Amino acid sequence: MSIRGKTAIAGIGETPTDRLGSKPGEPRKVTAEYLAWAARLALEDAGLTKKDFDGQGLAAIYTTNHSQPFWPEEVANILGIAPAVSLGGGNGGASAVSLLGQAAAMINVGLVDLVLCVAAAAPFSEQGRNRTEPADTRDFEMPFGVMGPNCKISFVMSRYMYESGMTADHFGKIAVTARYHATLNPDAYLRKPLTLEEYKRARMISDPIRLYDCVLPANGGKAYIIASPERAKTLHKPPVYLLGWGERNNASAGPRSNANPLITGIRESGKAAFEMAGVTHNDIDLLGLYDDYVPIIMLQIEDLGFCGKNDREFFEKTDFTFKGDLPIQTGGGMINCGQPSTTGGMLHVIEAVRQLRGEGGARQVPDAKVGVVTGLGAVNYGKNFGCTAAAILGKEV
Amino acid sequence: MTEPVREIKKPLPEITPITQPFWEAAANGKLVMQRCSDCQSWVWCPRPACVECGSEKLQWTPVSGRGNIFAFTVIREVVGRALRGFAKDIPYVTAWIDLDEGPRICSNVVQCPIEKVAIGMPVEVVFEEAGQRIFLPKFRPR
Repeated sequence: MSIRGKTAIAGIGETPTDRLGSKPGEPRKVTAEYLAWAARLALEDAGLTKKDFDGQGLAAIYTTNHSQPFWPEEVANILGIAPAVSLGGGNGGASAVSLLGQAAAMINVGLVDLVLCVAAAAPFSEQGRNRTEPADTRDFEMPFGVMGPNCKISFVMSRYMYESGMTADHFGKIAVTARYHATLNPDAYLRKPLTLEEYKRARMISDPIRLYDCVLPANGGKAYIIASPERAKTLHKPPVYLLGWGERNNASAGPRSNANPLITGIRESGKAAFEMAGVTHNDIDLLGLYDDYVPIIMLQIEDLGFCGKNDREFFEKTDFTFKGDLPIQTGGGMINCGQPSTTGGMLHVIEAVRQLRGEGGARQVPDAKVGVVTGLGAVNYGKNFGCTAAAILGKEV
Repeated sequence: MTEPVREIKKPLPEITPITQPFWEAAANGKLVMQRCSDCQSWVWCPRPACVECGSEKLQWTPVSGRGNIFAFTVIREVVGRALRGFAKDIPYVTAWIDLDEGPRICSNVVQCPIEKVAIGMPVEVVFEEAGQRIFLPKFRPR
């Protein structure tokens, strides 16, 4: 049974991104405020009220700085709704895309016909609590001073450069393109144009990762509403259909003790999404790729099959801007719009919906009909991402 | 008179029933990893059963401690409170070492100037005491 075209995104909501609490004495908001704000914006966008969600679906994404085992229930409690089904998104940055498929499956079997997916995090304004790490990280990475994802993705990037011959020029082109899109997006956080020279001159964080390779941590909340097509057609905004979806977790390209870290689970989750949607690469008008780091964008373009592995020439020749051959990160991506912990994974879903509705403003991809969005979460020991998900969204079924 | 400075501790591994044989061997200067008696796969990090075939017949098996740098980074900034104890070591090298037997281990490259560290460099294990009788397997050029 396929869920192709059986659901549509009917509402999106996104609070402004901020970094309140990063300086002493600043006014602060807590996670619950960003959460309720994002949910309200999504309801307004769809033309629904919270009463419409009693007896419907709720999907809440666990954040890394506020880990609470009953989080979906706390979210229902914060919002004052009584869901008939509550899903928890435990796939980190992949959760937003992962939950698209899980929510669609619930809708498709008739359990509910609306699901509100909501996430928020305030890492700067709320002291993290109860943070725990996977045992491999705790026992075999942290004692060696492995500084989280910066360090682990640096391993991947160093190997990528070694095997592919990619240089700062290749990575810089992607960073500059994403920033260019951010300059055209009033909701982006970093909106000052970035030059290739500035990218190259920026300080090393964890060689070979430079400052502008890294995502920007932020506070914020984001939400989307997914509905049956019948329900979606009665709401305020044009439906954006879920055409294809795939998820692959704990992928390993090769033996688990010695995997190829340059191949991600997106190879499988993306393939599943393309097959379900029944589209080809030529049908794709835009990509919103999970972007905690610039090199990861490139690995996903390869793994989705838009080019071969280590294809330097493709990255040199392709115009990735919104008017170009293969538009990516059309709103600037998380790297420029900010990453409120796992909430960041919602960004690409929301931007793709805007583009497919024709709400892209100065960065609108001409005649955008079909887009791909991805999510990634958890960086596994000796490999790359533990959680991966891909979805194909379309203006028409 | 200078103020007494309290040392900020680095995180130590939690010794669990699954990982204890590894740390016991390390304290005796030996590097061991699990190997499946049924499918012969190496299993690393430690697991309750083989992650390739599911067999519970895992044997702690000595490895040579020799390998090559597969990937590495130079840590230049502390991220997160839990790792503040490493501030005094910056810059330092963390790396993925591919052991001659196959498994990839995450560790530090030590006893080597940072600018000399390179992918492919042959290295060998050296154990460093991290406190509380815990010895960490690190790697130096060979």
